Amino acid sequence: MKIPLPARFRTPVLLMAGLTLLVALATAIGSEQLNFTLTEMLIRMIVVIGLYMFVGNSGIMSFGHIGFMGIGAYVTAWATLAPEWKQVMLQGLPAFLQEHTYPFPVAVLASGLVAAGVALILGAAIMRLNGLAASIATFAFLAIVYSVYSNWESVTGGTSSVIGIPTVVGPWTAVAFACLAVVAAYAFQVSRYGLMLRASRDDEVAAQSSSVDIVRVRLVAFVCSAFLVGMGGALYAHFLGVLTTDAFYLALSFVTLSMLVVGGIGSLTGAVAGTLAVTLIVEILRACERGFALGGAQISLPRGSQEIGLGLALALVLIFRPAGISRSREL
Amino acid sequence: MVDPLLRVPQPTAAELAAEGVSVRFQGLAALSEVNLTLLRGEIVGLIGPNGAGKTTLINCLTGFQRPTTGRVALAREDTAGWNPARFRKAGVARTFQAGRLFRDMTVAENVEVTGVGLGLDRKSAHSVAMEVLDWLGIADKAARTAGTLDYTDERRVGIARALVLPPAFILMDEPAAGMSDSEGEDLVGLVTSIPTKFGCGVLIIEHNMRVIMNVSHRLYVLDGGRTVAQGTPAEVQANPAVISAYLGADV
Repeated sequence: MKIPLPARFRTPVLLMAGLTLLVALATAIGSEQLNFTLTEMLIRMIVVIGLYMFVGNSGIMSFGHIGFMGIGAYVTAWATLAPEWKQVMLQGLPAFLQEHTYPFPVAVLASGLVAAGVALILGAAIMRLNGLAASIATFAFLAIVYSVYSNWESVTGGTSSVIGIPTVVGPWTAVAFACLAVVAAYAFQVSRYGLMLRASRDDEVAAQSSSVDIVRVRLVAFVCSAFLVGMGGALYAHFLGVLTTDAFYLALSFVTLSMLVVGGIGSLTGAVAGTLAVTLIVEILRACERGFALGGAQISLPRGSQEIGLGLALALVLIFRPAGISRSREL
Repeated sequence: MVDPLLRVPQPTAAELAAEGVSVRFQGLAALSEVNLTLLRGEIVGLIGPNGAGKTTLINCLTGFQRPTTGRVALAREDTAGWNPARFRKAGVARTFQAGRLFRDMTVAENVEVTGVGLGLDRKSAHSVAMEVLDWLGIADKAARTAGTLDYTDERRVGIARALVLPPAFILMDEPAAGMSDSEGEDLVGLVTSIPTKFGCGVLIIEHNMRVIMNVSHRLYVLDGGRTVAQGTPAEVQANPAVISAYLGADV
């Protein structure tokens, strides 16, 4: 049985077409606020797709991926900031970073590679653990990255912000990388490694008896997913122009994990749909927090409604549709 | 272009043996000094009452359980420290009593995993998977999600998964458990043609006495973790130790 070409590429092609169309529509409207929201959403989508690549295929929850995002974001800041800035703010950087500026594509690639390198070392140690222990270890990793980056002042600026990163990422750059992430995640899931990894997710014992080297396939996925997430971090830095270590900690971890769970952990379509759905929920709640006029009266939700609303949405999905809005199936 | 199947080394082992294997779980003896030899091309039955240690013995022979003392030898080579994946690569395959399919994957993918795990690319793995599914009569269900199969088909997929890129030995843990008599007999009928079709040795745990006596060339009888009898079906049936230990005092 040979699968015809269009059916084989159906999922990534549909997803990429949908995202591109979305950006085309939004830029046609031309609202700055809309472009901002859309770009941020697409960057988060890259991170969620990266997270899916590991979590969705291996069945092991990771609470540490935002650590890779932070690592990527700081790498690109080191590479692209003007040397005059770095000599003042980041005196601990090695000369090849402090005295030079690298172009955006090189910096983004380096961000992915450094995150992947860290994942290789971390993963070699924790992929041997059983699922729950490995998840907890990823959480410990997030805490370690946060502590180190918050305190290593000569290299990260500590708790003060790093400013002046070139803001070169808009909706079109973001959607191009999101499409790249879709292709990469899809290619992985239909590859030999993707198949073996999903087998180990469904039944570890049977996978071993099918000659699957579980530690190895998990590690490959972990490293590839960290690469995508590290690039996502770099794009985020080039979108905001400002970095703080607080941006890459619990709040963002919660939002990205919610996106994956709401969409459906088990499918790429779920990662994309979840990012869209959660962004929509958050934006509506954010608008309500700002308040709106209703028949002469000013109504607004109390601050923090965003987080509560997101938590409720997450709980409702887990109760009524545990496989997420995509039912963990592909388009 | 080289046929991708040729890139996967064929298992050459002619003999799988448990030599004085004992397994103790916190002082409780699950197996005591068990010897068993399985040759390529033969069907060997493994019988005994519940708790006799049959599954533990299969676990030892496939790398899932390390013997407390004694050893498992493949082609006379000691297998100490081998994991289950290495046993499968060396040609020792098994099925599980509980089925243990990859529930969210299709039937074809379930079987492809073994091919891919042994080094094939996905396309070659798919074609060898379809061949085995076809032989087992479930090729028409290749696109079904494994979790939706009935009991009988589930067992067949488990067997297909073990038979891909023929192993040297296949160890089957109650493949007909829970089936009706006729379904079970159909399945065991299929098992009898495995040695000639795939060239492997078969070790099979089965409770239906009539069936197991018919298909086995030789039998081992375990009770309380010890081998109480071994030999041809005729010898075993005539053995007084088997009659009292296995079939109970009232027989």
